[in-house]
Amino acid sequence: MKSLLTTILLAINFGLSLGTQAQDMALNDILVEGKGWELVAQGYQFTDGLCSDAEGNLYFTDVAKGGAIFQVDKEGKLNSLAPNVPKISGMKFGPEGRIFAATQGAQKQIVTLTLDGKITVLASNVEPNDLVVSRQGFVYFTETGKGRIQMISPTGELRVADTGPYKPNGITLSVDQGTLVCTDFEGSHVFAFRIEADGTLSSRAPYMTAVTPLGKIQSMGDGMTTDMAGRFYAASAVGIQVFDPTGRLCGVIAKPEPKFISNVTFAGLKHSFLYVSCSDKIYRREMKAQGALFFAPAK
Amino acid sequence: MRRYLLLFLAACSVFSSARAAEDYKYNEDSSPHAGVPQGEVTKYTWSTSANFPGTTREYWVYVPKQYDAAKPACVMIFQDGGSYMRTNGDFRTTVVFDNLIHKKEMPVTIGLFINPGEFPAATPGAKGRSNRSFEYDSLGDLYAKFILEEMLPELGRKYNLVQTPDGRAIGGISSGGICAFTVAWERPSAFSKVLSHVGSFTNIRGGHVYPALIRKTERKPFRIFLQDGSGDLDNSHGNWPLANQEMAASLKFAKYDYQFVFGDGGHNGKHGGALMPESLRWLWRDYAK
Repeated sequence: MKSLLTTILLAINFGLSLGTQAQDMALNDILVEGKGWELVAQGYQFTDGLCSDAEGNLYFTDVAKGGAIFQVDKEGKLNSLAPNVPKISGMKFGPEGRIFAATQGAQKQIVTLTLDGKITVLASNVEPNDLVVSRQGFVYFTETGKGRIQMISPTGELRVADTGPYKPNGITLSVDQGTLVCTDFEGSHVFAFRIEADGTLSSRAPYMTAVTPLGKIQSMGDGMTTDMAGRFYAASAVGIQVFDPTGRLCGVIAKPEPKFISNVTFAGLKHSFLYVSCSDKIYRREMKAQGALFFAPAK
Repeated sequence: MRRYLLLFLAACSVFSSARAAEDYKYNEDSSPHAGVPQGEVTKYTWSTSANFPGTTREYWVYVPKQYDAAKPACVMIFQDGGSYMRTNGDFRTTVVFDNLIHKKEMPVTIGLFINPGEFPAATPGAKGRSNRSFEYDSLGDLYAKFILEEMLPELGRKYNLVQTPDGRAIGGISSGGICAFTVAWERPSAFSKVLSHVGSFTNIRGGHVYPALIRKTERKPFRIFLQDGSGDLDNSHGNWPLANQEMAASLKFAKYDYQFVFGDGGHNGKHGGALMPESLRWLWRDYAK
């Protein structure tokens, strides 16, 4: 009986490995014919910190200037919120609707904040770039300059989660939150880690190989996001690189304009618009994919 | 009249390739026979990989009845080992081994059937993450190091193995096919025989460059049996039938010792399975039995 079961499981396993793993997740499957980039907002110095709430409202920052969080609501209206907040390079919603942010400027911190600008400090004396928050309330943030990832537990304990010979920058999770993924700004890989039961990271692997500009080994991998089908999206020098859940490159979505892109997220109706922060502007395009929200219960 | 005939033939060819008949039949070498000694298969788990840290995988070791610890045995390694090992699957490799070893059409060979690694899930609600594409589709010597530094030494602790490349073969299907090729390409000093079924010589992780590399690299001392079919995949990674034909053309150009069998099958092991006895005989044809 056990051997029969094993055989069946093997058959399923192998059916999957050939049936789905050899098959592709083509880039064309997620692009909408005739729907390219559209300009959403402009007139900033350095846009970044893209994230979405449960309703699909988009939030972003002007990291060079600070002083506000900007919201593009579902009707497309642009609002300026959270007055006097510091410069923010990374921002995500977490459990209970809290906004987690990585601040720049004199006080480099991990904080939570409210849309009326109230700030609670979670960690000081850090050098955060971008962050992601798990369903359980673990905060993971990249310290690009220091070449490491730190984490803050739900009880507020700060600890180093990973150090490696790389410059971690953008950071996201798999849909099931069992895997953490980050770009390497100065390298040509996107790294994946196993998330342990206590929230710590293990098994760092160069799971995805990124496209780099001609003659360079630096992908300039930056902000990341995940869709509900498990694809990973990474802002980079050559565009938004899309990888399937097994780490294979689906393709590269061209940038809206030749300037640099710093971050990427899904927001809008059904979280099916891909937003990108490009230099001084925000663009979006409709997608046949839906963004994953890490603060929502897992399916 | 000639024109009609051509049209007719063209129609037939379109029809047959679209149908992908896949009516490949096994011969007697793929079935057990009374009087033929059956080897033993033992299952193991490998969870301490240094080259793929954090992964765990199953593997199976087939030891032919004719194995004599006093004499070094050859080794043949299969990726996606679970599917190659099943006696009611497409390949029935251990049955074919039993028959060919008994008939002295291949040497006494230990089979090492390795599954790809997986990062088991640690958090509630999470699933394990497959490392198959990373291990199999990546170019470079990481998987070769995994085989040569981990799996073969582990096997060698229990069994007396031939240490020279002429006594070592490696094979696989799909991404496992290009993986087997990559191991021999990176370590021709360790492997002299490659078996590829519907090999993914496409751009999953850059493997489409092999036909070009083969032409501009000094010939490496391994032979390869390559199988594909006209009904194989055509997707964003590439076109499998064209890629395998390009591989064959490049192997011919670079004067490799190769066999290319191109059928009408799809992305599966049916044709490769039916060919298993023939391909093993060809790969091991000049090795002392």
